[in-house]
Amino acid sequence: MDFIIEFLPRIFDGFLVTIQVTFFGVIMGLALAIPLAIGDLYGGKIVSTIIKFYVEFFRGSALVAQLFIFYFSIPTLLNIRIDWFTVGLVAFTLNSAAYQKGYIKGAMESVYEDQMTAALSIGLSKVQAIIYVVLPQSLRIVIPAWSNEFCSLAKSTAALLTIGGKDLTAAGRTMASQTWRILESYTFIALIYFLWITTVMKALDILYNKVKIPGLEVSA
Amino acid sequence: MADTVMECRNLWKIYEKITAVKDVSLEIKEGEIKLLFGPSGSGKSTLARCLALLTTPTKGDVFHRGECLTRPGVNLNKARARIGFVFQHIWLFHHLTALGNVELGLRRVLKLPKKEARERATKALREVKMEEWANHYPAQLSGGQQQRVGIARALAMDPYIIILDEPTSALDPELIGEVTDTLRALAKKGTTMFIISHEMQFAREVADEMIFFNQGMIVEEGPPERFFTKPSSDRAKRFMERLIKRTTKE
Ligand SMILES: Nc1ncnc2c1ncn2[C@@H]1O[C@H](COP(=O)(O)OP(=O)(O)O)[C@@H](O)[C@H]1O
Ligand SMILES: [Mg+2]
Repeated sequence: MDFIIEFLPRIFDGFLVTIQVTFFGVIMGLALAIPLAIGDLYGGKIVSTIIKFYVEFFRGSALVAQLFIFYFSIPTLLNIRIDWFTVGLVAFTLNSAAYQKGYIKGAMESVYEDQMTAALSIGLSKVQAIIYVVLPQSLRIVIPAWSNEFCSLAKSTAALLTIGGKDLTAAGRTMASQTWRILESYTFIALIYFLWITTVMKALDILYNKVKIPGLEVSA
Repeated sequence: MADTVMECRNLWKIYEKITAVKDVSLEIKEGEIKLLFGPSGSGKSTLARCLALLTTPTKGDVFHRGECLTRPGVNLNKARARIGFVFQHIWLFHHLTALGNVELGLRRVLKLPKKEARERATKALREVKMEEWANHYPAQLSGGQQQRVGIARALAMDPYIIILDEPTSALDPELIGEVTDTLRALAKKGTTMFIISHEMQFAREVADEMIFFNQGMIVEEGPPERFFTKPSSDRAKRFMERLIKRTTKE
């Protein structure tokens, strides 16, 4: 197992990249998905059509193609250079926001009508009603979907390979090709993915139960 | 003569396919209790929502304390803050405790400091005898308890009128009493109320005037005794007979 120890620093660097891109993607994706969901629900026809285009583009095209667009096409057009890490962060954020918008919108619709009416009846404005009543309930409902999103994003970061990114999978590939211990290398990498993703999923599960509204049976 | 608290003139609400409210005019004076009843689908809820500014009437005007609130440019949020509304299906905020439900408007609409909001919310809960349940979530309460919190939520905002849309019709029969008792206590204190209800015994006790509503229109209005002894319209008479038969059977 000496070869693993030798490659540990590289694997660690790759792991850090994967973690950063995933976390940043999911959290910035969420920050972007909330206004997208609100815009889609309350923004009127034009806003909602623009949002629909955005979502269709990111959900309807391959992630690798999106990475290429941000890594090759856009920089060429603008005559600039963007490093693969920044491209990864931007592409994963935009991609994840497209998916998360759907989850949040669905959750908001499920709590919307009557809770909104009740909120208006005590004098809250529509914006206040969204902030204090609709969102707190929707975000609780959305945690399980969020957990899936995290899981799929964590694995998708391997696509960074195609633009020369050095993520966890890339580190595994380097190790495999340099040592010829293909089975052990990829097994070790798979194990890291597994442990990491399971830990985060478990944490989200605990969070879900912790913020669950007492006595209420919810189904998303 | 007492002041007019709420009034509507020639009110219409037309949905795409249905005219739910047809040319309704009514008036409620300070301290008065009016009770509206009529068949399901006759437009009672729609009328109540128009009066509470929760939906915009198609035609006609709503006045609260002399001010026309159906003109453009009126701050509806501000106006709604002082109109209490109690819903048929209760609609408490699921993610907040009983206290949190009552406090929300005090904190975010009236912008009261934390301590003051808490005191006022607790007082409102005490008034509906729910103080001990302050820290329970809606899903942990019975229907009757939830509806009392709903009443406290409206009361806490110091409304000059409370509009109640069938506050007991979603409740199990054995839970109706605690809610009507709460309303009786409010009535005794002189609270101005517009109540939609089919609890005829309760109506007879608290209402100053009853209104029979059918197909979006006021068919008959008058003091409860007249409805119970000799309603002038046939339609009201038959409806009353059915209601009374139903309650005595139970
Ligand atoms: N938002 C709405 N859109 C379209 N039709 C509605 C809406 N709300 C109520 N209606 C219709 O208006 C009529 C009156 O409804 P409602 O006011 O709820 O009656 P009630 O409270 O007396 O049972 C019904 O036919 C109902 O289907
Ligand atoms: Mg109704």
